[in-house]
Amino acid sequence: MRIFDPHIHMTSRTTGDYEAMYAAGVRALVEPAFWLGQPRTSVGSFVDYFDGLIGWERFRAAQFGIRHHCTIALNPKEANDPRCTEVLDLLPRYLAKDGVVAVGEVGYDSMTEAEEKAFTRQLALAVEHDLPVLVHTPHRDKLAGTKRTLDVVADSGIAPDRVVVDHLNELTVGIVADSGCWMGFSIYPDTKMDEQRMVAILREYGTDRMLVNSAADWGRSDPLKTHATGTAMLEAGFSESAVDTVLWSNPVAFYGKSGKLMLDPFPGDEDSAATFEGNSVLRGARA
Amino acid sequence: MTLRFGYGTNGFANHRLDEALRVIADLGYTGVALTLDHAHLDPFADDVAAETTRVAGLLDRLGLSVVVETGARFLLDPLRKHHPTLVSADPAARIDFLLRAGRIAAELGADCVSFWSGVAPSDVDDETAWSRLAEGVEAVLSDGALAEAGVRYALEPEPGHFVQHVEQALELRRTLGSPERLGITLDVGHCVAVEPVSAAECVRKAGELLFNVQLDDMLPGVHEHLEFGEGRLDLVETVAALAEVGYPGLAAIELPRHSHAAPDVARRGIAALRAAEWISSARRDIAADPVKIRTLFPSAGRMAGRSVPEGSGLIEGTVDDKARVNLLAALPPADLAAEITALYRYGDGAERRGVLRGLHLLPDDAVETGLRLVEDALRANDTGLVAAALGPFAARHLDAHTWRHGVLKCLFTGVPLAAVSGLAERTDEELIRMVTDYAAERRAAGRAIPADAEAMIKEATA
Repeated sequence: MRIFDPHIHMTSRTTGDYEAMYAAGVRALVEPAFWLGQPRTSVGSFVDYFDGLIGWERFRAAQFGIRHHCTIALNPKEANDPRCTEVLDLLPRYLAKDGVVAVGEVGYDSMTEAEEKAFTRQLALAVEHDLPVLVHTPHRDKLAGTKRTLDVVADSGIAPDRVVVDHLNELTVGIVADSGCWMGFSIYPDTKMDEQRMVAILREYGTDRMLVNSAADWGRSDPLKTHATGTAMLEAGFSESAVDTVLWSNPVAFYGKSGKLMLDPFPGDEDSAATFEGNSVLRGARA
Repeated sequence: MTLRFGYGTNGFANHRLDEALRVIADLGYTGVALTLDHAHLDPFADDVAAETTRVAGLLDRLGLSVVVETGARFLLDPLRKHHPTLVSADPAARIDFLLRAGRIAAELGADCVSFWSGVAPSDVDDETAWSRLAEGVEAVLSDGALAEAGVRYALEPEPGHFVQHVEQALELRRTLGSPERLGITLDVGHCVAVEPVSAAECVRKAGELLFNVQLDDMLPGVHEHLEFGEGRLDLVETVAALAEVGYPGLAAIELPRHSHAAPDVARRGIAALRAAEWISSARRDIAADPVKIRTLFPSAGRMAGRSVPEGSGLIEGTVDDKARVNLLAALPPADLAAEITALYRYGDGAERRGVLRGLHLLPDDAVETGLRLVEDALRANDTGLVAAALGPFAARHLDAHTWRHGVLKCLFTGVPLAAVSGLAERTDEELIRMVTDYAAERRAAGRAIPADAEAMIKEATA
């Protein structure tokens, strides 16, 4: 099973996760820019985070044979903090960089005016920079938030097939399917979706425009949920080709719209002595 | 404006013509410079008319425009290369060939027929050669049917030939009364080899009379067609000049001695051309609106390539380093001083290298700005940054103490000292002492001493 996890926050994960992901078939991923557990209080904090996404984290993933891409944005929660919003002026520099394959995560958290302003402005940036968009849907008041999200997306003029609306469930998938946007599902141990419910949704809606992710981060989550979903699909009678569509071809097709995916395979013999700005990941000689 | 890039079939001499055309089209070229030769649309074959119609259909299907080239080596005489020419005592066979080429060009819908003067025989003075050439060209141009069809001819100055400079070709045209159907073929590599001015300048000089362009690299004084980057051609400047004069014709790579590896050479060629075209268009955008550099600078690796030409890239810089320096050079000096700190601050490792390698472009009143960036880079552990920081700007402006520590850091981190600009000029007793102590410390610990350190000590004590 080859897997492209279209949404996972590797900054919060360990090298053990990378090893387990590689063993499970993960060969590429997208790490969306989002909030950390601790709120940021300055633009500089974002810049260091963005630099990490395009630099250190890409390097770290490469050491484990995984191609790392990212999305860049001011996330909805921190869009409410005026100390953070100035980062919007810096986004164009980062959207132009290699491996930055979408604007995201954008959208609503508490459905405030400040969130909507940042959301609208970043949709315009996506159009200007010819990038797809990853939209987060709120955890609270999800259905109303998703409807509002689709209205704002439609008003922005961006083509719906360049937008993925994420963290969907049984109640929100229908309206997104009708909108022409791509549908994202986060498979979690307890909250959001689980793999059995995901299989039921795939049965009902098919595999077209469907993205399945682990959205693993600093909270209770599991970076192998993509693999678990693939296994559940096979057990439910989906073909291997259908699994490959959902777990590989779909994310490649969606993020490929950026023209900036880097999926060339690593050379067979990875240099274990490589360093990133002088720091190595592997620590100690390999056999 | 997008230029039309093609490839010369004389660089595919080991391929069947149809297969050569398909490979060229598949690689993304939109034109072909077709050298008529024994194995490639032989103009003396019995079935040349039918074959020409067939090739015209194939070119059309492949979306290739075409220029007819007449430089085949042994097409007219199996013993004497290129013989006879328009400056030979009996040029009839050459004139006949050029007329046949014209008829083929008409059938193919070619831009023009390209030709050269030939080498003047040793027993012929310039005056005679000149009149033979003028008469020959006139004879070709006076063919009624070809004039009716509007077939154009382009004279190519060729090193070692009677006409080897653009100026001579232009003079011949004037002598003949500036006929509309006579223009110039410019081989940009030849400009490097024999012209007194750059290829870009030759492009401007020929201007609207440029009917055909051949692309290759060359070294000054050496008529040997090289791949881009192997000689001294400024490809970006040349491509920019073609765009600037609004050149509407075909620009085709001319590498007649690379047939043994044609597909790979052609693949590298189109990549280099696309990179050069991107850089040249990015330079125009930046000159018109300096803040554009903020988004173009990060894109340079993706758009212009990031391969390392030779070695590690620590000494000369990588392909994207050079592209980025080219973009910096397009900024007016005051804008460069204003933008450069943020380009470095928000840049990834590759962008920072590009900034460091372009610091020599800073105006004098911005030297302090540049020094802060060099100091930052010398604190890093990334060898690419350390190497890039010790370029010509540091050689000229960095204080002795910091510069010496930079050199020592190179020895520590394995950066070859060849990466340090002005090393011989700035090496002083204190640096020798530091390096000698460093070597002693290595020796005491039973560790190997870097060859560069040993060489420096040896030279100082010699």
